[in-house]
Amino acid sequence: MPQAGKEPPEIAFVFAEAEWSQEVGRLRERSPARAQAERARRQIEEGREPVDLFRCKAEGDDGTRLPGCAKVYVPLGRQGASAAPFGFVFQVILRAEGLAWAFLAFGERHPDDPDERTVYERAHKRLHGRYP
Amino acid sequence: MTTAVKKLDVGELVEIDGRRYEVVPARQGGGLTLETPITPVSELYAERGWKPASAEDFERVAGHLPTDDEG
Repeated sequence: MPQAGKEPPEIAFVFAEAEWSQEVGRLRERSPARAQAERARRQIEEGREPVDLFRCKAEGDDGTRLPGCAKVYVPLGRQGASAAPFGFVFQVILRAEGLAWAFLAFGERHPDDPDERTVYERAHKRLHGRYP
Repeated sequence: MTTAVKKLDVGELVEIDGRRYEVVPARQGGGLTLETPITPVSELYAERGWKPASAEDFERVAGHLPTDDEG
């Protein structure tokens, strides 16, 4: 397993309300997925520990195209799909305050349900307006 | 008495019991399905004055990051 990169602290993480509502607000209250997302967001925003980031593929084997993006496994600090079944995808954006990691998508990395979109497919949809 | 049937196409939004859904292609098996909408960043960023970082800026910030074997 590769070692995740440590994000330089000067680059902020931004969780905009619209994206958060569509990605996490869609989940049932008290569901494990929602609880994990909310906990991971709190940990990232508290900024007490480095956030383990992996670069997304500009062109993935699943047809997703996520240039300019990186992912964080959720729960934080874990890597295997069973230990960290969820993920956040962020895009580096430029805003008035400077560069930041903007939250794009939350979901399962490898869903058991074949009808369920992966977090990478959700991020692709948010970037490109359609699923791969 | 005839029942009016509303036809929906990909990308259309509908509201059911106060919740919005988007018509999207089903992930498998063909056909269409309804999912909660995902607003594209082009729309969201335009409202906020944000834009994706340039490739150079991304490399500066994320060039050192490792990759894995998934998306």
